[in-house]
Amino acid sequence: MPIPPMPQFARKATLFAASLVTSLIAAAALAQSLDVEELFSADTHETPGEFEFVRLAYSTNRYAGPTGRRQAWQTDWPEAEHHFLKGVNRLTEVDAAENGRILTPLDMEIYDYPWLYAVEVGYWYLNDQEAARLRDYLLRGGFLMVDDFHGTFEWAAFKSSMDRVFPDRPIVDIPEGDEAFHVLYDLDHRIQIPSRMFIYSGQTWERDGFTPYWRGIYDDDGRLMVAINHNMDIGDAWEHADWPDYPENMTALAYRFGINYLIYAMTH
Amino acid sequence: MFELLFKYSRDDYARSDLIFASEWPAALLIAIGVMAALGITLMLFIQRRRASLWQLLAVWALQLAMVAVVLVLLLQPTLQTEQLKEGENTVALVVDRSDSMAYGEPSSRFDTALASLLDASSDESLGISPLYYAFAETSTPMDSIDEAAVGGAATSFAESILAVLDDARSQSLAAVILASDGVDTAGGVSAEQLAEIGAFGVPVHTIGVGRERITDDVEFAQLVAPARALTGSTVSARVAIRHDGAGEVRVKVYDGNELLASEPVRLDENATTTTAWIDLELAKSGYRELRFDIDGGADEPEQRNNRRSTLIKVEEQQFHVLYYEGEPRWEYKFMRRALDDEGDIRLATLLRVSPNKFYRQGLESAEQLEDGFPTTRDELFGYDALIIGSIEAASLSDGQLQLVRDFVSERGGTLLMIAGPNGLGNGGWGQSEIADLLPVRLPPSTTNSFVRSKASVRLTPQGADTQMLKLAADEDDNLRTWADLPEIADYQATGSLKPAARALLDVDTEDGSYPLLVTQPFGRGNVYILATGGTWRWQMSMPLEDESHERFWRQLVRSMVSSAPPRIALSAESTAGDTSVSLRAEFRDGAYRPMDGIGVSAVVSHEDGTTWTVPLLPHAAEPGVFVADTALDASGSWYFEALAERDGDVMDTARTSLYSESGQAEYFNIRRDAAFLARLSDATGGRYFEADDLAALPDLLRYSDAGVTEAVYRPVWDAPALFVLLLLLKTGEWLLRRRWRTI
Repeated sequence: MPIPPMPQFARKATLFAASLVTSLIAAAALAQSLDVEELFSADTHETPGEFEFVRLAYSTNRYAGPTGRRQAWQTDWPEAEHHFLKGVNRLTEVDAAENGRILTPLDMEIYDYPWLYAVEVGYWYLNDQEAARLRDYLLRGGFLMVDDFHGTFEWAAFKSSMDRVFPDRPIVDIPEGDEAFHVLYDLDHRIQIPSRMFIYSGQTWERDGFTPYWRGIYDDDGRLMVAINHNMDIGDAWEHADWPDYPENMTALAYRFGINYLIYAMTH
Repeated sequence: MFELLFKYSRDDYARSDLIFASEWPAALLIAIGVMAALGITLMLFIQRRRASLWQLLAVWALQLAMVAVVLVLLLQPTLQTEQLKEGENTVALVVDRSDSMAYGEPSSRFDTALASLLDASSDESLGISPLYYAFAETSTPMDSIDEAAVGGAATSFAESILAVLDDARSQSLAAVILASDGVDTAGGVSAEQLAEIGAFGVPVHTIGVGRERITDDVEFAQLVAPARALTGSTVSARVAIRHDGAGEVRVKVYDGNELLASEPVRLDENATTTTAWIDLELAKSGYRELRFDIDGGADEPEQRNNRRSTLIKVEEQQFHVLYYEGEPRWEYKFMRRALDDEGDIRLATLLRVSPNKFYRQGLESAEQLEDGFPTTRDELFGYDALIIGSIEAASLSDGQLQLVRDFVSERGGTLLMIAGPNGLGNGGWGQSEIADLLPVRLPPSTTNSFVRSKASVRLTPQGADTQMLKLAADEDDNLRTWADLPEIADYQATGSLKPAARALLDVDTEDGSYPLLVTQPFGRGNVYILATGGTWRWQMSMPLEDESHERFWRQLVRSMVSSAPPRIALSAESTAGDTSVSLRAEFRDGAYRPMDGIGVSAVVSHEDGTTWTVPLLPHAAEPGVFVADTALDASGSWYFEALAERDGDVMDTARTSLYSESGQAEYFNIRRDAAFLARLSDATGGRYFEADDLAALPDLLRYSDAGVTEAVYRPVWDAPALFVLLLLLKTGEWLLRRRWRTI
């Protein structure tokens, strides 16, 4: 007797439950096997490149809640940069190292890598010393891409620390004609890039972050220093680039955003 | 003693020929000599038993010597000397009357010179008629030496002496006696002019007056500053200060009443000239007359030589640089940022961001570099400098590589090649058509010469002397700044230097030291190699307010573009002590080929409004170059505008300017130049004299080869020396024979 097809809702629910269980098991396994110190020590390079992907290991705020042994800044690590760097090497002339690095704001080494990536910045917390270090880094010519935070609450948490970095610089929408959207790819048609939860829920937004915003902070010469991707999850799109169910067009767009930010940072 | 023994002085013998005046036949004298020798031999042979053999030989030699002396006496030796014929010759007495002769030490140089000349010509036994001349810019004859008076804004030895020789050559001129401080203020005397003076065959005897060392005076020996500069730029002026003592002075530079710089200069006690560089920040546009003052002592004998002026045209100018890069990289970003605030430098970049896409930045129009790297001379030669980064030589066609070559060698542009994974040796540039332009022998592309490893940069001695590598004004501070710079991010092995190459920076690595910044000229242009793409660490690893990275790139690129000759150019070089100017105009078309079929003239204008036009003639050896000389009859600012015309239409114009200190030359270089006076005398067969020691001069005049001469014969057979010799010989023989008891 043939098995009757499951209703669509049931299929989605089953898939969601399966992936949830898988994720929990994987997270638990990871938490068992790694701690932060190990993450840093595992961050080794055999072949350095001109571009090294540096993930910012920040301190979290009180809203981050108990995260076990995995912290907010680790989100999507290490698959996100692993996939993204392969894309950079395949699609551009940038000589990118194969693996990423992890540095805290107070590591002096950050000055050797003029490009930083910070994820889940709705849960970050920068004290005055860290904020001053990040401000100095950016004004010397460094670049920061922030990603994967959603809604009004996380925006406020992000901005609270960002205001300590630049109390006097406004966060503005990146204009349509900005080179960040055109330096390699013309990103005139931008859509909200969701996390992988979109596969199960069909929703591209999280919390009340219905509308994606591409915002930035500029220096005195009009150069973008901080690229702020609010209400979207570019890192997830990189991380799940090899998931058959994650939409290819969104992964492709996520690559393009990342590459444009990178090329912009290396040219402006 | 010499004269007592030989009747006449050594000089008499030196200037005379020794002849024998005897009219006896030579055969007779020889026969007498032979017979005497035979006779002496026979006599001694007979007496052989009375003495040993060596005693007989000694007596034989002494007696033969006596016979020889007697024979010489019989030959009547005589000195034959050519000397001036009395009453038939003249001597030119020439006195320097230029302004510098007015200095009192304690009596004036001029008075000393007049007294010396009168002293030199006071010997009436010479029978020479004096001709009187005074000279400054040129010489003028005088009826009497009393007519001479100080007053001449310049001193031209060559022109003045040639004028004397020309004027007096019909009057049996036996010699020129010239009294001066030896300071030529009209551009000096060239070797050709010395030869022309010497060709007259008239000895020029010089008498030096004035002090050779003036310890209480300092003066500008030289001031060199660029004729043009960019608004807001910092230029370096080189000042040379002449001095005879050690100490410290201060050089101040004024633009009108505004003090631009005030720098202490330590005078080297082991030198008579000290050179210093003064950095000047030129904020105001237009023609700037800059005044340089040495703050010396109030008791200097001449204050006017403590001041010099120069004229600099400060203007806005746009330089164009093309940067061709094969990969996005941090060096690219931070170099662009360093040059962002340099409004006069347009950096257009062509960056390969993906295999099929070049990203253009710094464009002046949408069409610029639209088709990639330039393919025509007109397009590429519009840039002053070209930077090639981490990209393969194969990315350019043969034609484009040839253009790069022509860009350097013909257009005179500057090429900078930067290291990278695909740059220098890795990029195959060492085997490319432009390999011979490069100052190093790059390793082959089959070897990876690029290393991503931090390394320290070291300033070489040649680099320390290079203005563009000054990161601090003070020399010690500069060395310290370079030593304190963070390590660079990477480096690339460059291979060995070529003979004309200069290494300005080295890099110290784990594998040893390599040249990091190397340069050499090629054709009309220059080529640099920067064997790193990692100077950006100087920006990221140093405090925000530190400008070392920015200064390095700004000064390097500024040096690169400023050495590239413009398409049209006019230079004005003052000559003959600022009394004339040599104009040199160069006109080329957009492809930097010499302009054809043009006529060039220059409008010369003085600050007082005086204007005239000078035609410029094509240079015989340099196509596109036109030259002319014109006199400057006043001090102050002079402006020149060269017009290139074809069929009555003005095709192009070029402008320049200079500040003339005409009339000031006599206040400078006031020390006696005895070396020059001696050189002048040597070149003409004369002799240099100090003013207080002219004893040998009358004899030099008497026996001058020039003028009308006659032979004088003076016998020397009766010189006491010969008779003393005879006496000694005979006495010696007598004493020996007595000792041997043979008498």
